[in-house]
Amino acid sequence: MSSENVKLTPLVVSTGLISCVATALMAWVFVVTEAPIAAAQQKKNTAALSQVLPAFDNRPTQEAVTLGDVTFYTARKDGQITGFAGETVTHKGYAGEVCVLAGLKPDGTLTTVLVTRQSETPGLGTVVAERVRQKTLSGILAGKKETGLPPNKILDQFTGMKAEAGQTPWAVKKDGGDLDAIIGATITSRAVGGAVFTIAETFAAQRATLLTGNTGSKD
Amino acid sequence: MSVFKELTKGIIRENPTFVLMLGMCPTLAVTNNAINGCSMGLATLFVLAGSNMVISLIRNVVPKKVRIPCYVVVIAAFVTVVDLLMQAYAPAAIYQALGIFIPLIVVNCIVLGRAEAFACKNGIIASIADGIGMGLGFTLSLTVIGGIREFLSTGSLFQIKLIEGWAHPFMLMGQAPGGFILLGILLAAINWANRRKAKKAGRPWSPPGIDCYQCNLCDLGKK
Repeated sequence: MSSENVKLTPLVVSTGLISCVATALMAWVFVVTEAPIAAAQQKKNTAALSQVLPAFDNRPTQEAVTLGDVTFYTARKDGQITGFAGETVTHKGYAGEVCVLAGLKPDGTLTTVLVTRQSETPGLGTVVAERVRQKTLSGILAGKKETGLPPNKILDQFTGMKAEAGQTPWAVKKDGGDLDAIIGATITSRAVGGAVFTIAETFAAQRATLLTGNTGSKD
Repeated sequence: MSVFKELTKGIIRENPTFVLMLGMCPTLAVTNNAINGCSMGLATLFVLAGSNMVISLIRNVVPKKVRIPCYVVVIAAFVTVVDLLMQAYAPAAIYQALGIFIPLIVVNCIVLGRAEAFACKNGIIASIADGIGMGLGFTLSLTVIGGIREFLSTGSLFQIKLIEGWAHPFMLMGQAPGGFILLGILLAAINWANRRKAKKAGRPWSPPGIDCYQCNLCDLGKK
């Protein structure tokens, strides 16, 4: 590049002008879409909750209570508590945060476990975390239609389990415990198991507070 | 060149992945299965067409010396707007499938490369056609690579398991090194086929590469 005398002003003005227009456009779109994005996020949360909770006629997201590391959502039908959903985020995943959502019966027994947010290794950690319907060619040709939540060997093992307050955490078989893990995805399996245990144990410890529903925050 | 020619050149003759060799990074990252590859390609197609159109619109306003920073600002703003609009209005399933790819498109060299090589010198309709053509070619190459990698590593295609009870998956193909190797093999095959064709027609032929003529970012390539 030669060092001739370059007129700086038109360069600065045009770059600045384009940047200002671009920023103004982005700001405007941001403001316009703020409400629809919040609504879409809300819909997504409710959809996940519907998968782990029994039928409800209240708004669980508006009856959320955070106790320790777990946020509990209460499901009611006809005014009676039908179940809870506990959500916690663990940082012990292989590649960052893993957010686990577990359904609980009022007595503390786990029902359905979902992983709502993760960035684990595709093919290894995702086998632990994802519930994906395995479609086969022969199945499609036969016209098979499957409904309900897709199965997941690791997540389904928690159904029916219950924790006591102050109990030693559940461990995967490799660590001397009883939980199954996927070979090659031990860290992810540990993280999910630990998160589910946290949810179950916190529920057992705080059961009284949750069942009376007098926990205050109604946001 | 006619608008139709602009549209079709990006699909085979000047395919961004195998001929222009642009956008290698997302190619390797998202082609672990066919659906991801296809989704990324379609999202890039949309951004390519849109950013080519915008840059063609402002091409007479931007001084030559600051054109690259201005194009980057335009492309980044366009992608941000697309991301926000998708988050707000796209059906949840589509945003979940495509959502993570949208921010990655800003750093895709194809977008800046086409802006610099074509959109800043041509009219709006031609630029849009070029963007769509390049996007289609990119989608095609991503889907092909993704399909091969998915089939070899999991025995399924578009997440439909074709061979049940696949007992010996080729795990390497699902990871980045496998993507590199497959890309190399495909490039070699395409070059071999093109060289044979050129020899038969008596034309001289040299393999495509990152040479100055393609890049266009500075004045070195100009004679």
